[in-house]
Amino acid sequence: MFEFFNQPEVIKIVVTVGSMTLFFVGLFGLLTQKHLIKIFMSVAIMETALFLLFIGLIYKQSALAPILTDNQQGFINMNDPVPQAMILTAIVIGMAVLALGVSFAIEYYKLTGKTDIDEITSLRN
Amino acid sequence: MNLKRDISTSTFSGFALSASLIITFLNVLLNNIPVDIKRVGDELLKLNGSEGVANAVTTVVVYFRGFDTLGEIAVLFIASLGIGLMLDSNIRCNLKAESNFMLKTASQLLFPIIILFGIYVMVYGHLSPGGGFQGGVIIASGVLLLLISHKEFEVPHSVITLIETFAGISYVLIGLIGLVVLDKFLGNFLPNNISDMGLLLSGGIIPIIYIIVGIKVGSEMSMITQNLIKRSDDV
Amino acid sequence: MSSVLFIALPLLFGFATPLLSKFGKNGVAFTSTALQLFLLFLAFSLIGDKPYIEIISIAPPLGISFVLNKVSLFFVTLFTFMMVAFSIYYLSYRKTDAYKNETKFFILLNMLLASAIGLVLSSDIFNVYVFFEIAGISAYILTAYKKTPSALEAGIKYLLTGSIASIFLVFAIILIYLNIGSLNLAIIAQDFETLPHNIKVFISILFLIGFGFKVEIFPLNFWVSDVYEGSTALVNSLFSGIVVKAYLFAFFHILYLFLPSGEFSTFLIYLGAISMIIAEIVALKQTNLKRVFAYSSLGQVALIFTAFALQSIDAIQGALFIILAHSIAKIVIFLALTTIEKNYKSLDINVLKELNAPFLRVVIVIAMLSLLGIPLFAGFIGKFLVLKAFAVEQIFPILAIIIIASLLEAVYYFKLIGFMFEKGDRKDKIKVDFTHKFIFSLLTFLILLVGITPFVISGFLLDSANVMLDSISYIAMLVKG
Repeated sequence: MFEFFNQPEVIKIVVTVGSMTLFFVGLFGLLTQKHLIKIFMSVAIMETALFLLFIGLIYKQSALAPILTDNQQGFINMNDPVPQAMILTAIVIGMAVLALGVSFAIEYYKLTGKTDIDEITSLRN
Repeated sequence: MNLKRDISTSTFSGFALSASLIITFLNVLLNNIPVDIKRVGDELLKLNGSEGVANAVTTVVVYFRGFDTLGEIAVLFIASLGIGLMLDSNIRCNLKAESNFMLKTASQLLFPIIILFGIYVMVYGHLSPGGGFQGGVIIASGVLLLLISHKEFEVPHSVITLIETFAGISYVLIGLIGLVVLDKFLGNFLPNNISDMGLLLSGGIIPIIYIIVGIKVGSEMSMITQNLIKRSDDV
Repeated sequence: MSSVLFIALPLLFGFATPLLSKFGKNGVAFTSTALQLFLLFLAFSLIGDKPYIEIISIAPPLGISFVLNKVSLFFVTLFTFMMVAFSIYYLSYRKTDAYKNETKFFILLNMLLASAIGLVLSSDIFNVYVFFEIAGISAYILTAYKKTPSALEAGIKYLLTGSIASIFLVFAIILIYLNIGSLNLAIIAQDFETLPHNIKVFISILFLIGFGFKVEIFPLNFWVSDVYEGSTALVNSLFSGIVVKAYLFAFFHILYLFLPSGEFSTFLIYLGAISMIIAEIVALKQTNLKRVFAYSSLGQVALIFTAFALQSIDAIQGALFIILAHSIAKIVIFLALTTIEKNYKSLDINVLKELNAPFLRVVIVIAMLSLLGIPLFAGFIGKFLVLKAFAVEQIFPILAIIIIASLLEAVYYFKLIGFMFEKGDRKDKIKVDFTHKFIFSLLTFLILLVGITPFVISGFLLDSANVMLDSISYIAMLVKG
């Protein structure tokens, strides 16, 4: 039975369904949660789901990691290094923005004592 | 004991909306599973051999897509600036309890080892898996350990700012020197022979830039962590 | 002189500022303004050069490159000029009301300028995403700069909507790389039309939602008025003058490359028209001056969106004229509002009834008449070209919607003008010092110059419009390397 799951097409389907489930969890959290920090966490979950999707779909089983070792002396039959670079950049950017958001929320709580997004409506005209 | 909770309408509508969205996404994605087409990464992998660096991901991050890394460093710099602007009250420790003796001793023992490991990962980024980002985060985790276990530990603000500033300036200056020497911004103007592959001094500007990136990431993450832990005690 | 200097020099200044601040705060302010003046002269010196590509590390289509053609040069010049005007205004404003932690403020200004120019110049889709994020994060911090509860609330809202936008944009970029295999705009443009229909529509919708939050199109523009109200009027001038124009250009530049046959243009045109009408209707009942002008900005940006979506030469030339006129006029209005707020401490709509500032009144009236599209002012020729483009294509409903939106805008603008000139008790006179008078006069002179003699710039804008629509030669230039 495990040979069936080891085929590349089935792995890609499993990865897609799995990462979309994670995206759904994040989206559900974004739409229904009220606490600011939980909303930030949902955004982080959605971003993680996208990175999982990307890495899972770009992976070739028969190829090796893109680095030279004692056994591998030439750059042939290796996995793609560009998605790894893209995801590295995207992870750092996402984390930086989220850290900034959390610091906004902390300062706002310190000034007004509110964390519920339904109560943050002082700018509504 | 009543365990039944009624689910409010907003939760239900949120569930329905996100479920329908996800089913649409899955429908489109499962009909278009990507096949192995010719991608840019394969071309860059072939070109990588001529740069003289053993780790292809490092070459791609630092050299072929070096401007994205510069942009990412800028984002991290601005975020650290913003957090320093927001949480900029009296830096007094916010921890309620003094940590116990075992934690204090163990963390003092572990901290130099963690920093050494972080520097190793950073400096050998072009030869083994790792690099500037990874090494910088390891260094920041060592600083976090000390911040949690010792109430009076404080990262020296002016020293860190000085190191960070020099690292940032040198990244852009290396790019500008490449512009002057090779007519390509961030061109590789230091010697990078293929015969040197596997040695510490190989790859031209690539290990230098990655060390700069590691210094910047480590110092900025340390400052962010310190700002988030130590703040005035109203919260 | 290479075009990467426009991005690298502000970045270098931003990184070096903590060191420069050791030499005193005034040093940072003057160095920043001097840098922006230098960039403005650099931009002017590049006018008339042939379009060329600036290579970063490795030649395209494998690597990143920056393309400087007529339309990017137009935007670069516009952004640097707006930033110079803002910096000179701020140099005089800071004598009495400097922002706290001013070195950080200058870092954010320079990063905003670098990222806006990067959005316009870049020819690689992941690079566009990185600049999208740099511009976004600088804007979030500038919004929440004063740390009052309303500023922080505006910052939180802006940050949340921006994060959601970047999630959709990353999703689109991931799908593009998985299905096409390249990140260079030219290679993607060559293969995008051949994708299966459902994945092409899916990627386009993700892209539209991702950029739609930043381009302020209905229904994704609910955050704009709150952000404009929460932040200071000084920072609002940058948002409506520089930031939204960079996002607009990046979005439509990519749209023209990926979908040159105009597949979704009808949908986008109607989307823009609906945004325009809703923005003008909601603007009628606002009582805070910053919100009034925020909704007016939304209406004008929706008009630019509709014009770009039509994909015809007249419409694009009109849109470029409107971009020029709108940026100058909105910077004038928001800087005038800053002066009013400094003196009267309130920006409620009734403060106009007590306004006692003859110079500022004239300046604001000229800017408003330009935004309305009155002939002899800069906004007229843009609106006229857009209306002509829609008449030629015989899309009469949109023509009607644009005219109705302009009439609604005229209603509340004339109400504001009436408040400013009606007889009644006025407060103390505002003294506008010399630097501010110089900046306002320069900008107003430009509005009148472009309005009375549009031919000084219409040739340049027509060439720019042709370049923007001409995706074939753009692709050829990048593929060749």
